[in-house]
Amino acid sequence: MSAPAMDTLKPTELPAPPQEAIRLVHACTQEGVDARDLGDIICRDPTLAAELLRVANSAYFGFASEIGSIPRAVTVIGQKALRNLVLCLAMRDALRAEQLPAFPVEQFWEAALRRAVCARCLAGLVDLDAEACFTVGLLQDFGLLVMFHLMQHRISEWRRLHEATPDARLELERQLFQTNHEQVGQQLARNWNLPTELVIAMGMHHAGAPANTPAATVQLCRVAECADWMAAVFSAEDKRLAVRECRRLLDEHFGITVEQCDGLLDQVAGHMQEAAIAFGFQVGAQPEFGEVLRQANMCLLEENLSFQEMNWQLEQILRERDRVAAELARELELAREVQRSLLPAEGGETRGVVGLNLSAREVSGDFYDFYRLRTGQVAFCIADVSGKGMNAAMLMAKTSSLYRCLGKSILDPSRLLAMLNREILETSIRGMFVTMSAGIFDPESRRVCLANAGHLPSVVMHGRRLVREYPADAPPLGIVAEAEFPSVDFCLEDHSLYLYTDGLLEARLAGGRRLEREGLLELLARHSDAAPVERLQHIVAAVRGDSGVMDDDLTLLMIEG
Amino acid sequence: MSYQVDEKDGYAVVRLTGEVDLNHSPEARRVILDCLQKQMPLLVDLSSVDYIDSSGVASLVEGYQLSRSRQLDFGLIGVSDAAMNVLRLARLDKVFPIYASLEARLKDTR
Repeated sequence: MSAPAMDTLKPTELPAPPQEAIRLVHACTQEGVDARDLGDIICRDPTLAAELLRVANSAYFGFASEIGSIPRAVTVIGQKALRNLVLCLAMRDALRAEQLPAFPVEQFWEAALRRAVCARCLAGLVDLDAEACFTVGLLQDFGLLVMFHLMQHRISEWRRLHEATPDARLELERQLFQTNHEQVGQQLARNWNLPTELVIAMGMHHAGAPANTPAATVQLCRVAECADWMAAVFSAEDKRLAVRECRRLLDEHFGITVEQCDGLLDQVAGHMQEAAIAFGFQVGAQPEFGEVLRQANMCLLEENLSFQEMNWQLEQILRERDRVAAELARELELAREVQRSLLPAEGGETRGVVGLNLSAREVSGDFYDFYRLRTGQVAFCIADVSGKGMNAAMLMAKTSSLYRCLGKSILDPSRLLAMLNREILETSIRGMFVTMSAGIFDPESRRVCLANAGHLPSVVMHGRRLVREYPADAPPLGIVAEAEFPSVDFCLEDHSLYLYTDGLLEARLAGGRRLEREGLLELLARHSDAAPVERLQHIVAAVRGDSGVMDDDLTLLMIEG
Repeated sequence: MSYQVDEKDGYAVVRLTGEVDLNHSPEARRVILDCLQKQMPLLVDLSSVDYIDSSGVASLVEGYQLSRSRQLDFGLIGVSDAAMNVLRLARLDKVFPIYASLEARLKDTR
């Protein structure tokens, strides 16, 4: 059969109501109907009459003496219990096994019976009508059977649904059937004209009863919800979750303690056998709650073990990370040491030339150098490698080594820079370049020969007065092969020549403002009376602030005429 | 920093806006190199750049060098005063081909 739209079921698509049983159900609730009237209705259906007598005499009810007639049964059991009994029998037979050939109907009814038994056990503890609760438990998932009847191609999904916890089952039903057993069950209950409390309990045991529902019906919905989770303790794949949720719900709805809850679950297996015999259901061997709990705890233990294992692995990874970080830190420290060795000794002075370098990171892209030549002159340079980090540091190491090596034989700054430019271009990574000012200072004549490859202007000060600046006259090293690097030649007299990197201009003063060129000139003027080394230290102190944190490397070189 | 890439008259025009500093130059570098990888002549519009540091300049230098090795046209257009000051200080104004605009580049017969 083609699948109908499950959200709009027509009465004809639902199992037909068993007329005699329904008439009896209604007669049971009518006033003025006595045991004899009911007996007459029952006797019109001999099969129903025989079934009733069998159940009434079963261990399920546990009456002391045998009940021999229908009127006697009605009197002993009571009208309300009779009603429920009839309903259970009618529902049981509403969909026969041959109507669902490939479906394990016995498994469905075993699960339904377990819910019924759980509901009846719970009713005993919280003082509710045991038979009403049993009936709701038995019927609450009947909608699922109807859905399978209407969409038999979904029958293969039964096991997944059966082993899911109640909330997961409801969601899975929505995915598979575009509806759920509550909606279908409620429609069926209405269609069969069942009593209102059953319509609500069958249709809203997950969703919860609406406002203004009588208190007894609300309790019935709660019993159904709890019974669902109690039964799931035995049938769900995730038993640990079922036990936990079951204990929580029973406490929430009925103030039942964990011990009481476990006590109820302990009774289920025994009552299952009784009820199965009474109602004529085929059920398999019933697992004891103790065994279920043991299995759930075993799973927990396994999960704990794998959790422990995960913890160990994580610890191992963290240890490995720390080890690599420590190694990296050591390597960086070594790199920094190598870089330091490429700079002149801190505070060192060679015939009026002093310098200072502070790096913002472990390794720096800035450098300066000066050394005395055989001629008595002093060669000096300051440079800044583009970029930050290890690649800049390595290009700095390369450039400073080249400078040290070539600078001793090439005394003309123009030629020296041209040579460095070619060397860097030959092997450097694209996009990296070096700005450099290089010069020769003759302490005797105080003459300076200076060439500037894209570096910031050198500044000449006389005391507090700016004499002049020498901006770059050529691009940085490492960009164009054919570049020329003209030099300037001038007498420094008794002035001071300052060379610096952009880290100094971009350094922030107290208050957050960048130093910039004007700030630098002002600082140079303010400290012009201090001795050379102290002067540099004053300038650095002004931009380093209290935190000592710098954004960029900072280098400063000074030549006193 | 933000950027916008347009194609016009056979050129890719990358317009950089805002501060091209250490935090943003990797993005500028990527977009410039992407255009050149597609073998397109490239003009970088710096008219809306308020600040550019050496890492931003390095991205331009890398684009310039790659375009030379691939024999693709490369230039800067509408360079803002802030960017021009930085380029002038490093004498890079003599290295990069600089034009007032795309139209000026098209009229130039270099």
